Amino acid sequence: MVQILDTIGACKYTHGGRLHRALGDSEMAAKKAAKKAKDDLRVVLDNDGKVLKGATVPEISDDELLKIFDTLLMVRIVDDRMMRLQRQGQLGFYMKSLGEEASHLSVFPLRKSDWVLPSYREQGAWFWAGYTIDDFINQLFGNAEDPIKGRQMPVHHSANWLNYVSISSPVGTQIPQAVGVAMGMKIKGTDEVAMTFFGEGTSSTGEFHVAMTFAGVSKAPVVFVCRNNGWAISVPQAKQNAAESFAAKAVGYGMPGVRVDGNDVLAVIQVAREAVERARNGEGPTLIEAVTYRREGHSSSDDPSVYRAASEPEEWAEKDPIKRLRGYLKERGIYSEQLEAEISERHNAAITRAYERAQSLGAPDISTLFEDVYEEPPWHLEEQRNYLMEQERTRNPHHHN
Amino acid sequence: MSFEFHLPDLAEGMTEAEIVSWKVQVGDAVSMDQPLVEVMSDKATVEIPSPREGTISALNYKEGETCEVGAVLFVIDEGQASVSASNGAGAAVVAEQAPVVAAAKPAPAPTAPVTAPAVAAPAASNPVSATGKVLATPATRRLARELGVDIRTVHGSGKRGRVTSDDVRAAGSGAPAAAAAVPAAAVSRPPVSIPSAGGETRIPFRGMRKMISDNMVRSVQTAAHFTYVEEVDVTELVELRGRAKQRGAERGVNVTYLPFIMKAVVAALKKWPALNAALDESTQEFVHKHYYHLGIAAQGPNGLMVTVVRDADKLSIFDTAAEVQRLGQAVQDGTATRDQLSGSTFTISSLGKLGGVLATPIINFPEVGIMGVHKIEQKPAIRNGEIVPRYLMNLSISLDHRLVDGWDGAMFLQEVKTLLEDPTLMFMEMV
Repeated sequence: MVQILDTIGACKYTHGGRLHRALGDSEMAAKKAAKKAKDDLRVVLDNDGKVLKGATVPEISDDELLKIFDTLLMVRIVDDRMMRLQRQGQLGFYMKSLGEEASHLSVFPLRKSDWVLPSYREQGAWFWAGYTIDDFINQLFGNAEDPIKGRQMPVHHSANWLNYVSISSPVGTQIPQAVGVAMGMKIKGTDEVAMTFFGEGTSSTGEFHVAMTFAGVSKAPVVFVCRNNGWAISVPQAKQNAAESFAAKAVGYGMPGVRVDGNDVLAVIQVAREAVERARNGEGPTLIEAVTYRREGHSSSDDPSVYRAASEPEEWAEKDPIKRLRGYLKERGIYSEQLEAEISERHNAAITRAYERAQSLGAPDISTLFEDVYEEPPWHLEEQRNYLMEQERTRNPHHHN
Repeated sequence: MSFEFHLPDLAEGMTEAEIVSWKVQVGDAVSMDQPLVEVMSDKATVEIPSPREGTISALNYKEGETCEVGAVLFVIDEGQASVSASNGAGAAVVAEQAPVVAAAKPAPAPTAPVTAPAVAAPAASNPVSATGKVLATPATRRLARELGVDIRTVHGSGKRGRVTSDDVRAAGSGAPAAAAAVPAAAVSRPPVSIPSAGGETRIPFRGMRKMISDNMVRSVQTAAHFTYVEEVDVTELVELRGRAKQRGAERGVNVTYLPFIMKAVVAALKKWPALNAALDESTQEFVHKHYYHLGIAAQGPNGLMVTVVRDADKLSIFDTAAEVQRLGQAVQDGTATRDQLSGSTFTISSLGKLGGVLATPIINFPEVGIMGVHKIEQKPAIRNGEIVPRYLMNLSISLDHRLVDGWDGAMFLQEVKTLLEDPTLMFMEMV
């Protein structure tokens, strides 16, 4: 059984003594390291949602637990509905999170004033922060009510009112940005924290290493959440990492690295809380490796059956995060099937409403092309805008603008 | 009201997709989100769920055809039928599909035991991905269609067995590499047309069935088949096997008669090497093989397949039994690898208890011979002038008369018979 270790103890991979090891021991050491990495996995719930012996349950109220459950279900329902819309030709692109939903709740300990620099597979983080199903679906449609006015491809949300920075397709750009945001807050002397998400494949980019160096050196209040879901599109995690784990990389940058069962929402929250607290207290950054698994394709354009065995996702279904939380809620006596049915019904109805409205709306008004970059539009943009609107009027005299 | 479904760009830059399979037929009631069709682009194979509730009024492309993005793939009539369809749809569709599914399974015709070997050759020349799809780009698929080449029968020379345009061209021009291409005679003859007469179910003749067909035709049109049948008294073998079965059960191995027959065949092949051979037509050489990979016909979920027990001469009876069991399971599970389905040097076709009295097996080309094993039955026999009950079994062997004569076949089968009738002798032959 996995042993639950004290956070800081588990975090520290810095053991100077290792340098004195005889060379002949290196193989043994590698084995030990691999075992240690495995033993260091932080887990609270077993696969059925029972609290593991010796594990400490993080303090979370019943209301919060139910809200967490609601959010995880919401992600799953939204994902399912959206992928079907994509297949029906209603959406250009979609990315599901099946199996990874719990890792999204790393944002649980954040305050409204903290910052999130996400990757592209954290729907639950957005919903938790208050991004609505309407916001979400309007963005996918790029319609007149899309919060970012059709300027990004589907799934690339952005919500400045939530301090959620725009998702960008090139992987890893958000990591140095998160460090920059955090360094800025440190300089300003606030106690706000930046959290950034990325996949294990992204840890192979230069951005990751640059960001880790700056964060370590500056002791920036930033939390790195590496969602290790096993696959970088078709590249297995073993081809992205030669260290004992992804978390182990933290050692080289002078910060703690923690591995957590990314399918155990309680463990995810516990570890995230500790990391956010460290950051807020001025103790610097933490690298969290949430060990999880992407049970479906990378995106609507991907076909995982060509690069991995069908049995792999089936095995991971055993560790399903919703199943585990459901089990825990039952143990705690706050779950009922009726409750789950009500939650599902509510989200499904909200999706249907949002979808019907989203597809009835037209594209954002053409004049919005000139907005949002400058607070006061400069003369050349004004000129271009007036010219374009004149053209539009000539082309379509009934157009109201 | 009719809803026309235009094929969308499902995978960032997709321009066309091949229809892999329809899950519904014209006239079927469909419900919202019910899977309708599986399409394959160069990036992914995806299922399209129904965007409407109603009745399918048109499927514009056949399986195997390519639909361009933007073209109308299917039409759903959202008329009154759809109202009642909402609840009954699922059941109605299942009911209508059932006969098709049943009929699509190759019928266990009386000739079943003899058709067994046909599949070994395509398995050898037809690389498929983990999901069983031939790997090829849409451009290559189009070329194959234009040249009238069945891409499933083309040997892929590219990475991971990908079929390249050159492979297709080679297959189309009948180059030696395209051994599995449709025989010329089958192509030059005008196709037989069966006019629709109602009361029929039409199943696309493709995939596994088509491969079996192509290879049967090639074998029959190339090898000069003759068949020879012998009766074997297996009374002692029945007794021996009874004991072996018990011992095998202790080890978790199901010992059938097949491993004994295989050992007898290997011993006989060693004595008559011309039967463990093949003709290399390109060099005009008769290749006698000193390795003994026995092909064993097995009924797979999509038709007959030949699994291959490699180096059967080096395996014990228990090992052989375990290997046959393992390969049979792999075929049932659809996890058999190319290695397990190709490279046999001589094939045995057996349907166990259904084994019939005699057959004219078709050679697993380019091998020289195939042996059909028939059922064991207790029958009256005359021994020393007395009528006594004995366990008897027939063996049918088909050989390629281009390469061997009746005498070779008779001598070979005589050897097999001798060993099976006195199985203790078989152990003298074992390694």
